[in-house]
Amino acid sequence: MGLVALPAILLQDNLPGILLQTLYVIVLAVSHGRKFRVLPNLILLVSVSSAHLLQPNGLHLFSIGSFPITVGALLLGARKAFTLISLLYLSHYMITGKPQFPGKLGRLISLQFYYFDAITTRWRSITPKRPFIAAIDQLMHSLAADNLTEAAASQPIATSSSQPQASHRALIANGIHLLVFWGLFLLGSLRILPALM
Amino acid sequence: MKRNRLGDSAIIIVAVVIIALSLGTYANFSGEPQVHVRTDNGEFIYDLSVDTFATFAGPVGDTTIEIHEGKVHVHDSDCRNKVCISAGWVSRPGDWIICLPNNVFVLIEGSIQNNEGGVDDTAF
Amino acid sequence: MIPHSKHNRPIQIEFVALLAAFALFLSTVEYLIPKPLPFMRIGLANLPLIIGLGLLNDREYLLLAFLKVLGQGLVTGSLFSYIILFSFGGTVSSAFIMYVLYKYGRTWISLIGVSVAGAMASNITQLQLSRLILFGDAARLIAPPFLVVGLITSIILGIFAEQFVSRSTWYQSQLEGNT
Repeated sequence: MGLVALPAILLQDNLPGILLQTLYVIVLAVSHGRKFRVLPNLILLVSVSSAHLLQPNGLHLFSIGSFPITVGALLLGARKAFTLISLLYLSHYMITGKPQFPGKLGRLISLQFYYFDAITTRWRSITPKRPFIAAIDQLMHSLAADNLTEAAASQPIATSSSQPQASHRALIANGIHLLVFWGLFLLGSLRILPALM
Repeated sequence: MKRNRLGDSAIIIVAVVIIALSLGTYANFSGEPQVHVRTDNGEFIYDLSVDTFATFAGPVGDTTIEIHEGKVHVHDSDCRNKVCISAGWVSRPGDWIICLPNNVFVLIEGSIQNNEGGVDDTAF
Repeated sequence: MIPHSKHNRPIQIEFVALLAAFALFLSTVEYLIPKPLPFMRIGLANLPLIIGLGLLNDREYLLLAFLKVLGQGLVTGSLFSYIILFSFGGTVSSAFIMYVLYKYGRTWISLIGVSVAGAMASNITQLQLSRLILFGDAARLIAPPFLVVGLITSIILGIFAEQFVSRSTWYQSQLEGNT
């Protein structure tokens, strides 16, 4: 679903359209467990919009010193920022299903995460943490000592067939999501939604 | 070990040079020419280096300007005489085009780039 | 560890995955460090890429870079957004330069120079990408402080890598397994 929805978001050049799409995606991600924190998104919005102010465009609102603040630049920046935010939350939503990559790549990634898990848990129990290098050595030796490499190598290979069959409800939900994204895209490109720019 | 430091120092010097060059962008910013358009509805500003079209509404209709390859001209206008269109392209700071019937005044602001020589124009 | 010569052996998947996992670990550590400005990055996750230079052959190194980007994308949830492009571009250009410098320049350049070159390559690539995709010419404005921070952190990182390589017993044992 995510990949098919992607172009609908990327190609959207209508500000209210992308705004609605972003809101929808955020709700989608949050309902699947992802948290929404205001601050990083706000920083993103402000910085991208301000960066676009450097190319003045449109109605001149006021100036900071000799620096003009224009409406068009702000709107353009806002649109790009919202596009990025919605893409971010779209990818958050897509990975909440804990995707398994098929084949060799999948095995590699699960290996990587297996070690990642091992490293994070073991690091906590290592004291003293200074000097660093000795502590890292200790960590690595403990990983080897427990024959983790052998254990990791015999990890059951996760394949995509281990996922439960997509339920009817999930399919219908995905269909609705796609309709919303592409519908908003159409509304935007046909200028049914006001362009504001 | 001393020979190792030779290459390291070279790389670091190159890095510092790159950073110094990037600082050059700060110098250019204040001089970039802008297209200022004053109408009944307010003042609009555009970057002369960005190709675009812009339309403004006035007493007799719409006037559209086009910015293309660092120049600007009136692309279309609803006024009767179309004097503004026949004014052609302008590109230097201080140049202006006006559509009197429609109350659209286009002015290029900014300071002249170094290689053209000449004196700074005073803006309105 | 089977003592094959570094260049002829089959790819050591587990080892690469281990290093890649370390990169993930370091990114989470970096994530937890509060930063005044969100774009000023320390690049801790590049440490395995530097330390791995002496331990991996070219195919393994490429795989490491790839896994690092993929892992970071999955963990931060940015796999399908613009950000993955920045991460990919930065890491690949950095890995390429570091590998070449290390392979051919070891008499003149220590890991410090390698780290700095890698960081500059990565940062410049990311600046150019952000200029194209996100910020427009405004990216030039952020460039100087961004590059300066990158220079300083990469020097520190390089010094640490040098220390690690000479003092770590684990590293030594890996080296012995390779020759």
